[in-house]
Amino acid sequence: MLQTLVFGLITGSILAIAATGFALIRQTEGFLNIAHGQFLLVGAYLGVEFTSKLGLGIVLAGLVTFVCVGALAVLCARLVFDPVRERGALVLLFTSIGLAYVLYAGSILVFGVDILSFDVDFGNAIMLGSVAITPVEIGMIGVFVVAILGLMLFFNRTRLGTWVRATASNPDLARVRGVPVGVVSASVWFVAGGLGGVAGILLGLNSSVTSELGWNATMLILAATVLGGLGRIYGVMAAAMFLGLVMNLATEVIDPSYSTLVAFGALIIVLLIRPEGIFSIERRREIAA
Amino acid sequence: MTGVILFFAGTLTLAGVYAALAQILNLSAGWGGLWDLGMAGTVGIAAYVYTVATVSPSEFPNLDVALGLPIPVGIALSAVVTGLVALLIGIPSLRLRGEYFLITTFAFAEVVRQLMINQSSLTGGTVGLNRLDRPFEDAVTGGNYRYVLLAITFAVVVALYFFMRRLGRSPFGALLRSQRDNEPLAKALGKDVVRYRVLTFALAGVLVGLVAPLYVWYLKRVVPDLFAADLTFTVWTALVIGGIGSFRGPAIGAVFLICLTEALQFLQVDAEHAVLLATMRPLLLGLVLILVLRLRPEGLFTERRAFQRRTSPRTAPLAPQRAALASSPAAMETSEGSGS
Repeated sequence: MLQTLVFGLITGSILAIAATGFALIRQTEGFLNIAHGQFLLVGAYLGVEFTSKLGLGIVLAGLVTFVCVGALAVLCARLVFDPVRERGALVLLFTSIGLAYVLYAGSILVFGVDILSFDVDFGNAIMLGSVAITPVEIGMIGVFVVAILGLMLFFNRTRLGTWVRATASNPDLARVRGVPVGVVSASVWFVAGGLGGVAGILLGLNSSVTSELGWNATMLILAATVLGGLGRIYGVMAAAMFLGLVMNLATEVIDPSYSTLVAFGALIIVLLIRPEGIFSIERRREIAA
Repeated sequence: MTGVILFFAGTLTLAGVYAALAQILNLSAGWGGLWDLGMAGTVGIAAYVYTVATVSPSEFPNLDVALGLPIPVGIALSAVVTGLVALLIGIPSLRLRGEYFLITTFAFAEVVRQLMINQSSLTGGTVGLNRLDRPFEDAVTGGNYRYVLLAITFAVVVALYFFMRRLGRSPFGALLRSQRDNEPLAKALGKDVVRYRVLTFALAGVLVGLVAPLYVWYLKRVVPDLFAADLTFTVWTALVIGGIGSFRGPAIGAVFLICLTEALQFLQVDAEHAVLLATMRPLLLGLVLILVLRLRPEGLFTERRAFQRRTSPRTAPLAPQRAALASSPAAMETSEGSGS
């Protein structure tokens, strides 16, 4: 039971890092970026390349991947999303589906379809009471903590972070007040893509890297984002953690093959009962017809 | 040479199936403005209901339910069940707007797919159900059956086209487009907007139920993997290419897209390049989607053109509203919206 709780915590941490980037884009750019899952895929493949081919340590590989996938996200935003920005959220959404396909196909072309896994020594399990946990697994939860703290500092302590928050809450006012919208957009894409890439590595570490990794993650990311209330970053983090725990704890009582079903069942129930998300306080007017 | 023709007949049949689905999506998403990402789910339900209803228990002893009904009864059952499921999904979720409806239907489709995989006593699990019977199969010799299926599919697509044309120009169609473009106005005219949305979604479900058996006949089998999000996105891409809200667009977009992606399969390559070839389909799909949305967001055929003749000078086109993907200034015939 406690052991399952730890696995849930790890799944939740990974999902939270992935979903945070997605929520960030939803909040500042105003659309659901279906291609976000493919950032995870690219990150996972790059991570494997960096550790196995270049022999980088896992931490260094993670940092390099963060930068690479972040840059890729900025590039995608400039090349693919900017030209159709004026056409509204739904054109952007379908463009992102197109981009997801292109990134998916591109990853297979570059990295192949073989199932890869990280050649990383997890170290000896440390026993905490009845729970066994390896240093790498502690590291995964650590990455989540660092990501939260980093984002908090970024949003609340830096000028750029303030700009991002201003743009998210009222883009027109922010522009009028002289916030450099281009810089904000680029930095948001960079952070979102980078976090996606790191989440991809963590997913790969936790199981293996397959070409379907991105699509599978997209579903769970969407679920977590809606559970947390679209675009509410901390709500989404909490929801992702909740989802990770529920999916793992559910395996204690029902067949493991139903665990993703539990996540989506929870999503549908929440949407129907409380569409503003379980962790949000105020009811938002845009939801109800 | 006959190989080429046979291959082409098969491709056209698949294109026809997608053309039918795209026309149905055009009803709910194009005119109704319901952003449905759950088409794979409804098609999957319809396909499995039809299959389970028509297979005989002696051929599939591992299934809990195998009714062995005649094919027409199976189709009717699939239409009824799929319509009811759509109604059940629609009633609660159509209270929610745009993005939320989109995610609910997306999640619904994923739940359906997981259930198909897990409920193996009903669905045959990941292996699916293979070697299914098809109508008129005894009447013709092996290879020629493709032409029979192509003819049936063609007839269905044409029938759907005229049905949709009729429906689109009816007061019901006008009301649908008016609530999409200007909901307060439709409400002010005394229309129960949510009820019409639910009805439209349920009608789309019934139509999917009628069409899905074609897909089953084409494939001769049902497997959960066929009903993944990829199906939904392909139908959407076909609709976007053809032109959302137009009459001819969905079918022509589907034929164009399927011929484009299936033509690749015709190339004979060695195993080394097979992976390369397999990635061409998603690559093409993605590129086409991105490029069409950027260069010709209204699609090949536009909604404006489709309804042009019917627009009288008095009812001038109103300002483009949120629901039109291509932000096309769709002419509304609100004056005809009464009495439906």
